[in-house]
Amino acid sequence: MADKIGAYICTGCGLGEALDIEALAKVASGKLKTAVLKTHEFLCGPEGAAMIKEDIEKEGLNGLVIAACSPRVNTDIFKYPPEIICDRVNLREQCIWCHPANDEDTQMLAEDQFRMGIVKVKEALPPEPYKVEEPATAVLVVGGGLAGITAALEAAKAGRKVVLVEKKDNLGGWMARIYKQVSLRPPYNELEDPDIGDRIKEVQANPNIKVYTGAKIEKISGEPLNFSVSIATKSGTATERAGAIVLATGAEPYDATKLESLGYGKYANVITTERLEEMAAKGKIVRPSDGKEVQSVSFILCAGSRDPEHLAYCSATCCIDSLKQAIYVKQQNPEAAVYIFFKDLRAPGFHEYLYKRAQELGVVFFRTESPQIEEGASGLVIRAQDVLVNDTIEADGIDLVVLATGMVSTAFSGEMILSAAEEEEDKKPGMEIATVRPDVYYNSDLLNLEYRQGTELPMLKYGFPDSHFICFPYETRRTGIYAAGSVRAPMDVQTTITDATGAALKAIQSIELTSRSFAVHPRVWDDSVTEFFMQNCTQCKRCTVECPFGAINEDEKANPLPNFARCRRCATCLGACPQRIISFKNYSVVQIGNMVKSIEVPEEDEEKPRIVVFVCENDAYPALDMVGMNRLTLSPWIRVIPLRCLGSMNLVWVSDALAKGIDGVLLMGCRHDEDYQCHFIKGSELCNYRLSKIKETLDRLALESDRVRFETVAIMDYRRVEGIVNDFAKQIEELEPNPYKGF
Amino acid sequence: MTVRVNPNLARTLQKFGAETATQCFHCGNCTIVCPLSTDENQFPRRFMRYVQLGMEDKLKGAIEPWLCYYCGDCSRLCPRQASPGEVMMATRRYLTSLYDWTGLTLKMYTNKSFEWLTAAGVFAATLILAFLLQGSPPYDHADLSKFLPRSYVIFGGMLFGLGLAGALFLNVLRMHKSIIYGTGIQLKYGESLKIPLSVYVKELGTFLYHFVTQNRYSQCTERSRYIKHFLLVLGFLVFAGYAGFMVIAEVIKEGFRVAFIEGSAHAIFPALHPVRLLEYAATIVVLYVVIDAFLGRFAKKEPIHQHSHSTDWTFLVLVGGTVLTGLLTHIFRNIEGMAAATYWSFALHLAFIVTLFVMGAFFAKWTHAIYRPLALYFIKVKESAFRWQNLPI
Repeated sequence: MADKIGAYICTGCGLGEALDIEALAKVASGKLKTAVLKTHEFLCGPEGAAMIKEDIEKEGLNGLVIAACSPRVNTDIFKYPPEIICDRVNLREQCIWCHPANDEDTQMLAEDQFRMGIVKVKEALPPEPYKVEEPATAVLVVGGGLAGITAALEAAKAGRKVVLVEKKDNLGGWMARIYKQVSLRPPYNELEDPDIGDRIKEVQANPNIKVYTGAKIEKISGEPLNFSVSIATKSGTATERAGAIVLATGAEPYDATKLESLGYGKYANVITTERLEEMAAKGKIVRPSDGKEVQSVSFILCAGSRDPEHLAYCSATCCIDSLKQAIYVKQQNPEAAVYIFFKDLRAPGFHEYLYKRAQELGVVFFRTESPQIEEGASGLVIRAQDVLVNDTIEADGIDLVVLATGMVSTAFSGEMILSAAEEEEDKKPGMEIATVRPDVYYNSDLLNLEYRQGTELPMLKYGFPDSHFICFPYETRRTGIYAAGSVRAPMDVQTTITDATGAALKAIQSIELTSRSFAVHPRVWDDSVTEFFMQNCTQCKRCTVECPFGAINEDEKANPLPNFARCRRCATCLGACPQRIISFKNYSVVQIGNMVKSIEVPEEDEEKPRIVVFVCENDAYPALDMVGMNRLTLSPWIRVIPLRCLGSMNLVWVSDALAKGIDGVLLMGCRHDEDYQCHFIKGSELCNYRLSKIKETLDRLALESDRVRFETVAIMDYRRVEGIVNDFAKQIEELEPNPYKGF
Repeated sequence: MTVRVNPNLARTLQKFGAETATQCFHCGNCTIVCPLSTDENQFPRRFMRYVQLGMEDKLKGAIEPWLCYYCGDCSRLCPRQASPGEVMMATRRYLTSLYDWTGLTLKMYTNKSFEWLTAAGVFAATLILAFLLQGSPPYDHADLSKFLPRSYVIFGGMLFGLGLAGALFLNVLRMHKSIIYGTGIQLKYGESLKIPLSVYVKELGTFLYHFVTQNRYSQCTERSRYIKHFLLVLGFLVFAGYAGFMVIAEVIKEGFRVAFIEGSAHAIFPALHPVRLLEYAATIVVLYVVIDAFLGRFAKKEPIHQHSHSTDWTFLVLVGGTVLTGLLTHIFRNIEGMAAATYWSFALHLAFIVTLFVMGAFFAKWTHAIYRPLALYFIKVKESAFRWQNLPI
């Protein structure tokens, strides 16, 4: 417990004019008396900051409550060593900027927020960081294609030891099998010999990289900084230790035998991109049927791609590969007729120049859906509805049809396994329990993790173990394991290089942060550690199932076995545990519960309802700040409590609030669906699931279920937030006051 | 109707000057920016597609190429440097070759050496003919009617002109057919179009108006080019009117004897005679425009000058040569003691004129002077005929 607390109230930025500061200061008296209580007209100025520093040294403070602006600003000024617990009470953005000045209700709000801040600090302890003993700092790279090689090289160049494991006998992957690659230098429209050979040589010459070829991962256990890896090689099993892992196993072409509708398998002269690449690498591009040099070639793009019956997504490279191959044909024979049939031609970035080059060489493009391919008198015939001509067009005498098939992640093979699925619960009739989407992975034999939540990485969409592309580039849902290249999303050469470099840096970051006891993205400043009060554990498995990052393993008796270096400190387990045995030194069920209890609830006849608003501190909290910045007005009844993630919301806080006579509880978290925005993937979804079970509790207390509302908001939704809060407040005003007031 | 992709025609069209068509990605900027493109007659974008695919059926009956005056706005704005203006030019060349029943235009446009050999051949043949037919001119003073007997020039000229006009008329008939039945409003099944002569006569004004004024050109963004072109046409008309008037006056005066008359028909006009001044003005205008075009095609600054088909150069050389040799003849004729030089330059002048008419008026560039107003005229005729027949337009 922080027992020597300094409380500081800033009167700058109009706070002194809008609030009764003397009355506010009185909050820090009695039970909440703090060792130091000062006001200052410019707390973030050099004088104010120095004053706090001086007090810390003189008085030996171990807790600070700074009632001023939002904790999202001036972070560099109000920054203290980890042993000093600090809370910033948001009086500016969320109080005087969105509530009328010199108003009784605004004053009450400020006092409550200040009170909660003091309680929060009082109930917290400095964290005791977790240290991995005998840390392993090598980066394990799984897959030796372009992505794997790039990741290995980049990590090695940054001075890391790297272990590179490749399934095949040679490094290089797909890139080692192609004829030419598109130049990545100006003018960006040349074809050049693949440079993968140089990269392989660089890997072989680098003393920091240990290469296993013809090898696969048999087993991985442990946690960041301490992964034990068993590698099955031709000469037996090798073991390595790694600090972080990059998964770069790439993708496979889509199975063209499923494309009989496009003539594959039916006509000898219908082939795939892969086959043409082979042919070009060998020498002449010829008709498979009779070996004659081709005079007329058609490329069918999106062959089985962006098609719900085959691959629903775009594979990002087929257009570019086909443009490249069209140029092969034109280079072999400038008079050859080359047609490209496409749905949408996607040659992003500098690849536009390649498209232009193909056009200049006389390649003709057809925008069309579902071309029909038949055998004609003088070769293959393609019929299609051309968008530009708005008519059926017919190209005949085609020697070769090339199907540009998409790519399928190597993680998308094997048997589908659902993990973290909700077990059937004894549902009471009439009770509607929200469902949580199960985690899906395929036992694709890539990583073979010894994790309670499964052996491979959970997928997001279309079988790719991807993460949210804006919030979490390169991340996966297993801490310290980063997916790079086309295993995680379809991508071209340039993107793969960037991606693999990013993943290598992420791996290094993970090693560095973990060795300093900090969590990895997104709570990189956080060195707090979960604590399990095991005497009270009922082995209900809620925590091991709900942890979005698979951080908690289980022993055979279903006792949770936390892996602290895998933990991202979202505290989802804290919210999950019905026994409330999980806590952090500076974030616990009791702490938040006491904050709720410290809110002063006016008597029923005062007609001042109270609403506790639990908000996700990642999106909803900044959105509330923006409400203030835009000077919108919020209902004065709300009392905001930020949570690490809505996933850490424990139901007991809701019943605490209602039992105290608080009239409503509003929860604001992030979007949770396929395009989730939740920093901890499932937090708000789990919160919603838990809330769906609270109806029973409310019924027992004879309270309306309307008193609890859950909403998802994005960070820029400040106008919506205003609407949600004021709507809810209006709804609560219309209800009878909470009958538990005064108990 | 299925459109067959025709790579052979696409290749041929490239030789007509449409090499850049494949670079088009059909954004439509060209059509938007074109001040002449209308909802009914949209271009150039759709022609880029027709050319890419070699869509013979669509190209054959099209009139849009004749509605384009190649101001170059489209090419200037094209994000792909696909030069839509030049592609429209190429389609005009292609249409000209389609209208030509002899098939020589096709050869002329698609085979550079054939074109130049033909030009050189006609040129040489005319020169040879002139020397074979020359009389015994005096060398103390220039007397052109003694050098080439008047009857030869007038009668030969008439024959030549009638021959060209006849051939051109056959081309116009083919053009008429392909436009009336190939483009714009289409007949429905079972309908047949009858066009009474009165309709042709009634709409004849359209042809004459556009022939003389080229008014549509004035709708292009840059008006100075219209003015230049208009003056150039006026210059040509002055020359043609002068020559034609002389011939017709002779024919009226002499009737059939025109083939046998000798002697000078008229003296040189006095220095300040209006006809002479008019001729001077026309010469200056035509020379100016020709030099301007030459310089432009060398500098390649404007879109219309960036792609020069071989026939463009031939045409410029022929017009320039004609005017220059005409001017020289006139100068030498008025200087004492330059009789020989007068005859030489006159022979060259004749050779240029004949080649210009054969190459230009029949097969290539000059034909647009008649095809453009005719296209507008035929469309009017067609609309008028539909209305006359109470067919839905």
